Amino acid sequence: MTNPPMTKAPAVAVVPATIHLLGVGLDGGLMHSIRPWVAELRAQIEFVPDLPHAVRKLAAGHWDVVLTVLGDHPDEDLHWWANALRGRTGAPRLIAFAHRPSMGLALRAEQLGTHDLLALPVHREELLRSLRRVGRGTSEVAVPLEAEVEGDVGRYALVGQSPAMLEVYKLIARVAPSTATVLIQGESGTGKEVVARAIHANGPKATGPFVALNCAAIPENLLESELFGHEKGAFSGAVTRKIGRFELARAGTLFLDEIADMTLPLQAKILRAVQEREIERVGGGDPIPIDVRLIAASNRELRDAIQQGRFREDLYYRLAVVVVRLPRLAERGADMSLLAAYFARQFGGQYGKSITGFSDRALELLSAHRWVGNVRELRNVIEQAVIVATGDTVLVEHLPDEIRGQEGILAGTMAGELATLAEAEARHIARVLAHTGGQIGAAATILGIHRNTLTRKIREYGL
Amino acid sequence: MSGPRRDAIPPLRVERALRLLPDLEALTPLRALLVATSRADAGAQWASSGPYLTLGKRGVDAAQLRRRLDDVLEQITEHLSLLYHAYIDALEALTSGDPAPAVAALLRAGRAEQAPGRLSQARVWYEVALKLADELQDRRPEIEILGALGRLARTQGHFQQGARYFQRCLALAEAEFDQGGVAEACAGLGSLAAAQAQWGGARSWYKRGLTAAQVGRDLGRIGHLHHRLASVDRHDGDPTSALDHLREARQSFETTQDGESLARVLSAQGDVESEQGNADGAVLSYREGLAWARRSSAPAVECAILLRLAEFYLKSDRFHEAEEELRRAEQTAIAHTLSRRLVQAYTMMGRLRGKQKDETGFVFFEQAIELCRVTERVPSVEGRVYREYGTFRSLMGSPEEARAYYEKARAIFESLGETGELEGVEAELERIAG
Repeated sequence: MTNPPMTKAPAVAVVPATIHLLGVGLDGGLMHSIRPWVAELRAQIEFVPDLPHAVRKLAAGHWDVVLTVLGDHPDEDLHWWANALRGRTGAPRLIAFAHRPSMGLALRAEQLGTHDLLALPVHREELLRSLRRVGRGTSEVAVPLEAEVEGDVGRYALVGQSPAMLEVYKLIARVAPSTATVLIQGESGTGKEVVARAIHANGPKATGPFVALNCAAIPENLLESELFGHEKGAFSGAVTRKIGRFELARAGTLFLDEIADMTLPLQAKILRAVQEREIERVGGGDPIPIDVRLIAASNRELRDAIQQGRFREDLYYRLAVVVVRLPRLAERGADMSLLAAYFARQFGGQYGKSITGFSDRALELLSAHRWVGNVRELRNVIEQAVIVATGDTVLVEHLPDEIRGQEGILAGTMAGELATLAEAEARHIARVLAHTGGQIGAAATILGIHRNTLTRKIREYGL
Repeated sequence: MSGPRRDAIPPLRVERALRLLPDLEALTPLRALLVATSRADAGAQWASSGPYLTLGKRGVDAAQLRRRLDDVLEQITEHLSLLYHAYIDALEALTSGDPAPAVAALLRAGRAEQAPGRLSQARVWYEVALKLADELQDRRPEIEILGALGRLARTQGHFQQGARYFQRCLALAEAEFDQGGVAEACAGLGSLAAAQAQWGGARSWYKRGLTAAQVGRDLGRIGHLHHRLASVDRHDGDPTSALDHLREARQSFETTQDGESLARVLSAQGDVESEQGNADGAVLSYREGLAWARRSSAPAVECAILLRLAEFYLKSDRFHEAEEELRRAEQTAIAHTLSRRLVQAYTMMGRLRGKQKDETGFVFFEQAIELCRVTERVPSVEGRVYREYGTFRSLMGSPEEARAYYEKARAIFESLGETGELEGVEAELERIAG
């Protein structure tokens, strides 16, 4: 694992001086008003009467912005547009107009990465300010991918060199050589299965199979048969005899992910399997000896589940012989860019593209994102970006709207016109509210202000 | 370094909530409400189980259910009120010696039952109406009822019964010089022939229906029959003729301003373009179809097109895009209680996982089968799920399980007389035997 060179290449994308706007379903009055306003920005605008015409127009050319009026179901309309614009040439941004937009709608717009949501009647200044934020940076500069490190390559590679991950590596190195049961805890997307595979690959059962089962994915009524197998006819869906995961993992490792999602009766059966080292197939009477190393994982705090009576304490202590806690991506510092490079290469290979770098602005946006889904979310974002990328550099326009939604805030730190304090505050409040799902109390805590102050600001900014 | 988030008690899941709900007809609207108000756990989006989430794993919010209950009870009252009033209207009409309005009232009741998918109940109303219509001098109501019964039987997979209704409808319509009735009956007979893989017969019926519709200058029917002829051309491997028919259909629907039908035609056009290898054209047609469906507020059509688009991506091995469209179809189907589309979406998600050699994909087939039992009780739909499940198991290297599912599908299609599907399943069985 090494540090990458951060040399900058020449600019790779210049935002055109003329912004191309497509107005969809705007009434005559609005079109009449908007036309001279956008002309002030030297922007070009065309109008189409409805969605079907917009689809053909969007496919036929390059558009920077779509302006549309949301209808009777504004929430659904926003979703529709987010889907319709995703992956389009030039990745046009959406500016949506709504009659008396509610806070809920503003939050939804924020979550979907809508460029702006403006109240009707549209005010000239508001629209122009919003349009100026589109493509505000004059150029994007390519930054080569972080260098690949020998040993990082492979489907289950652990990528990262942050202090938090180094602690994880040390623990893996200590625990892997034994056959001790391991409990891996960490938020969703932090890489629990990757760690489990690393423990297996470096342990005494490495020559045996690694069998994984996601307990939360399997229908409750089928989980027992997935784990222990069943005999033909044991229940209505048992069309043939089935060997369960405990048996399939013989002489290897069984990884039980999201174990907190198991019912209490099934937990009792797991406990018995761990203690007695034997299982019984559903509908079968004979005990079957098992020889597996068990690794369990959970994205929930199992101690809380024990207190709530949803998880057996005795099973917890059986599983938590060694506990590995994985850090959030936000706690891993520069690992984000290493991982982004790793995934860019991986998906570049998969989709037949040679991705050699990210633009500086794209990297800034990636760094500023909250990554609630941790590495899995990053992986997903890079995969989407690689799919839509047309050259060898991932640009801002290739990133999904959820990431690009922060452009307005970051723009203040980039070239171009600066946002006012009120603008920045309003957008930040909207983001925090989106994060808390609209809960004002939780948002006020994050923002460090009294909820009454927040309520006042929400009113003031029309959120 | 932080550990996992500290959570409140997770919500009760749909799979468990449905098990609590007795399988009683009176509770069907409550079941639909439970599904429509279910919510995916926001935290589950990025969990490792996220790609496998199905309806059963969504959360149920009892408070939300209670809040929406009054609306549902009001709808039930309105529905019952409509049925009761229709019956009383029929009684009054009969009392005054005029059976024609009585037939119309009973037909209205049947349509009211059919709209929310209460097909068996609709059939009962239509049958009562049919008996009464027999007494009328004017035969057009009878033609209308026979057409409705034929379409209902077709939807329920009762092909022979459907053919009998359409034949009676045709005979009467011809005798009455009712070109609309002739076109309707021919379209129905053609669709039954197509469902049984009798493509030559289907083409003849559709052409005959088209002639009748053209004589009657019925643009709507002309459009629909061109659309159906295009489906026969597609099967016969004649994309040029198919596109010609679709163009004609589009012109008809543009004239009648029928956005929903336009959406369907564009979806079919996407299918043809996809088969021709015109990927850009296909995606554009599907997207335009989606826009028309959106404009016409037709979620069922929107969902159907999303599934076609997903199918296109799936065939092109564009798995990421296929999954996105399938998830959109799933959301639309759940929000609008489109259980058959939901079954299709899960079946396709299972197929997608099969192509990715992901064994956990079986959860989608299990969810689809569960839905067939709980909400969508149409055997032909269940048969298709079993067929796909068999293919999935075959791909996963479990020929015994594959055979078991194919045989279940075969038994269903045999009992229904769905020749086309039956031939497909038998070919699969032969393939794994060989």
